[in-house]
Amino acid sequence: MKKRYVPLILGLVILFFFLLASLFPTLFTEYGRKEMFAPWLKASSEHLLGTNSLGYDIWTELIYGAKDTIVIGLSSSVLALILGVVIGTLSSFEGKLGEVFTFFTNIFVYLPKLVTLIVLSAFLGNSSITLIFLIAAFSWVGTSRVVMAKVRTLSSQPFIENCTLLGYSRMHTIIHHYVRNLRDLILSRFLSGVTSCIMMESTLSFLGFGDLYHPTWGTMVNFAWKRGAMLRHAYNYLLSPGFAIMALSLAFYFLSLFFEKRHEEIEY
Amino acid sequence: MSKYRKDILIALLCFCFIIVLNFLLPRMLPGNPIAYLTGFSEEDMTVKQIEYYREALHLSDSLPKQFLYYLKSLLDGSLGYSFKKEDTVRNLIFKRLGYTVEITLSGVFFTSLLALFMGLRAGTKKEEKLDKILTPATIVLNTIPTFLIGIILILFLSFRLKLFPYANLNSPGIQKGTFLYFRNRIHHLVLPVLTLVLAQFPSRYLLVRNLAADIADEKYILYARTRGLSNRAIRYHYILPNISSPFINMVGMSVGTALGGTLVIENLFSINGMGTLLSEAVYSLDYPLIQGILFVTTAFMTLSIIISDGLCLLLDPRQRKREK
Repeated sequence: MKKRYVPLILGLVILFFFLLASLFPTLFTEYGRKEMFAPWLKASSEHLLGTNSLGYDIWTELIYGAKDTIVIGLSSSVLALILGVVIGTLSSFEGKLGEVFTFFTNIFVYLPKLVTLIVLSAFLGNSSITLIFLIAAFSWVGTSRVVMAKVRTLSSQPFIENCTLLGYSRMHTIIHHYVRNLRDLILSRFLSGVTSCIMMESTLSFLGFGDLYHPTWGTMVNFAWKRGAMLRHAYNYLLSPGFAIMALSLAFYFLSLFFEKRHEEIEY
Repeated sequence: MSKYRKDILIALLCFCFIIVLNFLLPRMLPGNPIAYLTGFSEEDMTVKQIEYYREALHLSDSLPKQFLYYLKSLLDGSLGYSFKKEDTVRNLIFKRLGYTVEITLSGVFFTSLLALFMGLRAGTKKEEKLDKILTPATIVLNTIPTFLIGIILILFLSFRLKLFPYANLNSPGIQKGTFLYFRNRIHHLVLPVLTLVLAQFPSRYLLVRNLAADIADEKYILYARTRGLSNRAIRYHYILPNISSPFINMVGMSVGTALGGTLVIENLFSINGMGTLLSEAVYSLDYPLIQGILFVTTAFMTLSIIISDGLCLLLDPRQRKREK
């Protein structure tokens, strides 16, 4: 009984820490984001992770970067989720409309995501807002396919037919049966979607295509790499943002693990 | 229409989609298409230059006519002209394409091989221990961004242990074509390919494992077991043929994602491939080159899907027999 809650607690604790850091950064650090010290200081009690090439405190940068990383990750995955659910539902319809949307989804499956994303961001600019929309535009495919399959199987279930026969309105069936049955699926897609959106954003930022005015963890690694942190043995600077991304992704993974287990227990 | 034929058709349509997107992007966005198509900013050009480029790029013609010109530039293979680098996009890309293909294809090869081998072992119920260790390990591996994997590998294998070089694909001063050159290249390729393999392995492994686990529940596997066949025989003679089609299909699909991984890896290991070319092109706002790269990567990916689905059609006896 207790073991079941381990992933939930672990995930929530990590997530809570990052949320706290992004909402109240001053709780964790006494320095300002652009406060300058001597460059390339080693880790010490004053500078937990040392300072970077410009003399900014790396721990402070990391704490402030949490907000931008989480905002981009969360909002793009919410957008992708909405897109996925809508397109998935539309493509589950029988007839021409459904076929068109299924086809549309299939084309997106094959696109070389990262290259297309980079090209589009080169043309459309790389502010955070554009980045959120672009990442969402390339992350809905999985959700849409799963939702489509689920809605199709639901529609052929006897209890849905029963509702129609008994004369319940379409709205009633959707709210009380479709939505309830899709809820777990949507939750798990959301949790895994956040991870992949954060991954995509950090990859783009690492390549230098992120929003430089809102430096995320990926941007930090990009700067560290470009400014020669490797040769100066400033491994804190290089690795800590990467590990932060990893911890955040793991938090979402733990949460999805818990819900998956719970789902299994209900099923059997 | 069989699944594989449909897949090939969709891949081709996806290719057309990219061509149309490439054509429309510079022309439909707000701003002067000349600026997008040449990469120069409008303020820096004289009226005469603007007139010249408008004629040279056929921008005064109607859109369908422009599209025909664009298709022609794709068909004759020049892929457009980079005004910034003063060369055709084809020449620029083909100089660099080889390195990218080397890394991507060897990465896909080793990932698929490893995923197949490990996935088959973990998927058959007898190897629960392996499954219990490997599956969570791959999930943790999956949450590490590609660049972090690369950085950690460079830190340990090339900075600490000094086993492998951390940049470029060849040491300077070795003559091309000799055996030494070849060995040197392999030595340089180890880390980039290893990074790609580690980044791609988790998803492929999980897929093979789940496919194999599904087949392992079948009755004929139970029957094979009761006949006293070895695990090995069951794995390679009963399960492998049944998962071969989806597996090959997956390998074809994974070329596209591996290309994305290679972009990151090239930037990390300063390899002069398409990834670094794309970064250069984006930084210098060389739009024709950016579009050319998107075109070539999509073409590469479409080709790999066609080959893999074609292989599925040829290999699967059910598909072959149905034809006749």
